[in-house]
This record gives sequence, C-alpha cells and structure tokens, in this order.
Amino acid sequence: MTAPLLSIEDLIIEFDTQQGRRRVVDGVSFSVAQGEVLGILGESGSGKTLSTLSILGLVPGRPGVVSGHIRAHTDGGEVDFLAELPSVVSGGTAERAYQKDDRRWQRIVQRTMKPYWGQFATAVFQNPKQSLDPLMTIGRQLDESVSLADPSLDRAAVRARSVDWLRRVQLHDPVRVAASYAHELSGGMCQRAMIAVALAREPRLLIADEPTTGLDTTVRAEIVGLFKALLRDRRRAMLYISHDIREVLFLADRVIVMRHGKVLEETSADDLRHGRGRRHPYTASLLEAADLPVGEAA
Amino acid sequence: MTAKWSDLGLRLSGAVVVAVMVVGLVALVIPYDPADAVSYDSLLNPPSAAHWLGTDGQGRDVLMRLVKGTEAFFLPGLMGGLIAVVLGGLAGAYTGYASGPLRSALVGLLQLVDTLPRLVFIILLCTIRNPSIPLIAVVAGLLFVPTVATVVRRKVEALASEDYILAHIAHGFTPARILLHHILWLQCWPLLVRQAAFVFGYVLFVETGLSYLGDYGVQEPDPSWGNMVAQVKDLAGAGAWPWLAPAVAIVVTIASFLAFGNLVARKGEEALR
Ligand SMILES: Nc1ncnc2c1ncn2[C@@H]1O[C@H](COP(=O)(O)OP(=O)(O)O)[C@@H](O)[C@H]1O
Ligand SMILES: [Mg+2]
Repeated sequence: MTAPLLSIEDLIIEFDTQQGRRRVVDGVSFSVAQGEVLGILGESGSGKTLSTLSILGLVPGRPGVVSGHIRAHTDGGEVDFLAELPSVVSGGTAERAYQKDDRRWQRIVQRTMKPYWGQFATAVFQNPKQSLDPLMTIGRQLDESVSLADPSLDRAAVRARSVDWLRRVQLHDPVRVAASYAHELSGGMCQRAMIAVALAREPRLLIADEPTTGLDTTVRAEIVGLFKALLRDRRRAMLYISHDIREVLFLADRVIVMRHGKVLEETSADDLRHGRGRRHPYTASLLEAADLPVGEAA
Repeated sequence: MTAKWSDLGLRLSGAVVVAVMVVGLVALVIPYDPADAVSYDSLLNPPSAAHWLGTDGQGRDVLMRLVKGTEAFFLPGLMGGLIAVVLGGLAGAYTGYASGPLRSALVGLLQLVDTLPRLVFIILLCTIRNPSIPLIAVVAGLLFVPTVATVVRRKVEALASEDYILAHIAHGFTPARILLHHILWLQCWPLLVRQAAFVFGYVLFVETGLSYLGDYGVQEPDPSWGNMVAQVKDLAGAGAWPWLAPAVAIVVTIASFLAFGNLVARKGEEALR
C-alpha cells in the first residue's frame, strides 16, 4: 500500500473544565490513503469532531492540551502539524496547548496551517446555512474558492467554473443559485452549495462532519448519493463523519468506530456490510439497531 | 418606533441629507465674493422674488450665503467621517484579530485617545493654535477613531466563532480577505454609515459653534451658518431672516444626519439578520 495521505497517531485532546482537566480524545489513531473514504462512526460526544477538526487546527473551546502526531503527506513531503506548532505547555515535549481563545495561539496555528488550509484539506460542517456567508451570494463565495484553487483564471472563467461546480453538485438552475443568498435556499441546496465551495478549492482531503445532520430524510439520502458520485473518480480522500451507520456503510472503504474519545475498532466497510469477522459489542449493537447483519460479536 | 414612522423618518432625513450633499457640491463651483455682495441699497430686506430668503444687515443675499456657507463644513465633514470610519474600521479589524506587542500598543493608544474629552480638546487646540476648519475636522475624525474601532473590534470578535468564518478559514481564504471583505465590508457597513453620519454632524456642530462664537472658525465676511446666526447679536430684533434661516438649517441638518445614519444602520442591521 502507498503511504497514507494523512495519519493521526495517538491523538490526545484535553480541555480544562470546572471539574478539572477532561480528556475528550484519548489516544486516537487512524490513517487515510489517497482517494480513500474513511468513515468515522460514533455517537454524539464521542470525539469525532475534535479528532478531525484538529487536522485543520480548528479545535474550538478554551485552552487545553493536544498531543500526538498529525502527519500529512503533502507535495513538500511529510509534515507533522503538531510538531510544527511550538510547545506551549511547559515541560511536555509533544504536548501542544490549543488555546482557541488565546489570540497568540490562533495566530501561531494560522502561520503553521496557512499553506495547508484548503489545499491539503478543508471541511464541510453540519448546519449548511450557517456555513455560508449570509451576505454574499453563493456564486461569489464559489468564485473565491475557484480563484484560490487556480489564480490564473480571469473573472469570466472563474464564474464559468463556479457555475460548473454548482452543476456538478446537481443543483438545478445553477445560474440562479449562483445569484442567490443562503437564506433564499433550502438546507439541502445550501449543503450542495457548501460542498461545491469546499471541493472547488481542490483539497486532497475533504472532511465531512455530519453533513446530513439536520436535513430531511430524503434530502439526506440525496446528499449521501452526491458524495458517492463526486468521489467516484478517487481524486480526493474523504473523512466521512456520521452517527448513522447506514450512511457510513454506503460511502466508506474503511470504518473506524469511536466512543468516549477512543477508537473501538477499525474494519473494512465490506466486512461490516456483509457481517464478516468479529465485531466489537458496541459496533454489533449499532448494526443490530439498524437491522443489519451483525455476524460474530466478539 | 413603528416601521411606518421609521420609513417616514428615513425618507425625510434622507431628503435633507441628499439636499445638503447637492448644495454642498454646488457651492463648491459657485463663484462668490462676499465683498462684492454687499449692497447698502437693500439692507435687511424681507423675502422677495429677488432675494428668496431676504438680505442681511449688509444687504447680502441670505440664500446665497446659506448655500455658500456649506463650504465651511461640507468637505471637512466628509473628510472627518471618512477618517473616523476608515482608520477606525482598520484599527478595529486589526485589534479584533491580531495579537502581539503592536496590537497591545495600538489598543493602548486607542484607549488613550478615547479618554480625551473631544470638545474640550478641540477648543484647547483652537486657543493654542487656531487651526483651520479642515484641520479641526481631521482632528475630530481622529478623535472618533476609538469609538469606531471598538464597535468593529467587537463585531470581529463576535463573528470569529461563526461557522461560516471557520469554514472560510478551513478553505484557506486569506485573513485579510475574511476581515476586510466578509466582516468589515459586508457586516459592518451599517455601523460605519452610522458613525460617518455622526462625525459629519459633529464637524458641522463644531464648525458652526466656533464660527458663531467668533474668535475661531470662519470669519466675516466669509459665510458660515455659524457666523450668520451670530448676526442675531447685532440685529436686535430688526429682522429674523438673516439668522433664523441658518439656525434652522443647522438644527435640521444635524438632526437629519444623525437620524439618517441611525435609521439606515438599523435597516441594514435588520437586513443582516
Ligand atoms: N470546548 C470544549 N470544552 C470542553 N469540552 C468540549 C469542548 N468541545 C468539545 N468538548 C467535549 O468533547 C467531547 C467530544 O466532542 P466532539 O468531538 O464534538 O464529539 P462528536 O463530534 O463525536 O459529537 C464532547 O463530550 C464534548 O462535550
Ligand atoms: Mg460532532
């Protein structure tokens, strides 16, 4: 197998809360290969968002600790994002304090991550309406992405490509959508637009963090289908994060199951689909709840 | 205030603002020699076809002096508003985003300027240096920079955790673009309009005030709404037009600019939601 595009090793994230220091990501390791879809399955609060947003350095919240390795294979070779960041916590060699509220820390993250944002990876969140600039048309936001991905394009070419992206995310009447604001579109349309803005940036890795949460059932199925279609060419890798086992099984090549900040198991999606191999009891319960073949529970 | 009243207020104040702008621009190109305008044949005439607002104690056309009097505050007011909004906007964006010694120094400087009592400072400046009105307008604009910077900084800080700003960062949109375009331009324009209108009104107030008092500001025979009103001191009830018209103009213009700025900003902020 080729070297992974991204590998996370022994990621630990802790927050300082009123009840003291709380470890919310506890030694998570996983990797994604070029063009692969890794499904990250877990109930709410299991640490999926923190584990994946830390790839972008966008961990929300108050000062805490992050340690481990986030290794990315970029055009310039391998970098460890965490090692690039100066140690803020005294004494710890690998410990890095993520201090979202600390401007200085944010600026350090900014300096380190700048070359990778968008190019190496970007993200699509839940709440598609809130993920788009409310005061800018969809078209203009797409234009920004397109022209960052290819600065050589002139205005007309940028707009043509933007409209093309709207077509690729299967929005009917892309010209009208390009001229619309987020509040004029449905949640599903906004998520398609958001996916277009993210992909137009041409990232090598797309992080989709529960992109269907909050959408109607039929719209959810459409969005999941759209991801399937968009990733068919295998030009991009994706982390698909969801609490819905069916969505994950439909899209992913490999799956990790998370709970309480830990990875419980890692398996091929095919094995999971066909009830092959031994299952962690928690995974088995998820399969059972979704009326899927469990196979052999460990 | 109901929507209907605020709409009416917006229209009325907007009409005055537009009128002042037009007159201000026209005044810049009309030739006027205050010495020439003196006419001892027509002192303190009431309004007539020849002199719509009558004539003053030196027989000068009041309307003409009213129009020409805008020159004293029009460009200075615009300049003061622009300085406050541009420098305040940039300072607010920078202090809302950056960290480090430069930011701390700027925050300290803004706090210092913010503690200055504006009017006292300007009058003190006048007694020391007797600066021109444009210079006073620049100073007034600078004195309002901290106010603008504070509201912009708060906005930047409040928006920093919005999903779409995080998404923009994740996509690799540059901080300058996010700050200046997405936040300062798109989100802050209503409050910038409000502040610019306020500073314009403030400059008008200071200019006419100083010119009224007489030792500073615009001196006779050059016209200012302020020194026109000052004629009330000499006329002793002989005629109301020469000072009443500029007095009304001052009050209506200042009130309209403040109301217009507030109403436009409120409408803008409603639209943002
Ligand atoms: N800023 C924060 N401060 C304290 N705890 C946090 C913070 N952000 C997230 N957490 C906690 O970390 C855990 C994992 O969160 P998250 O990664 O968002 O889970 P998931 O995405 O799987 O729902 C949750 O229990 C959450 O309460
Ligand atoms: Mg989450």
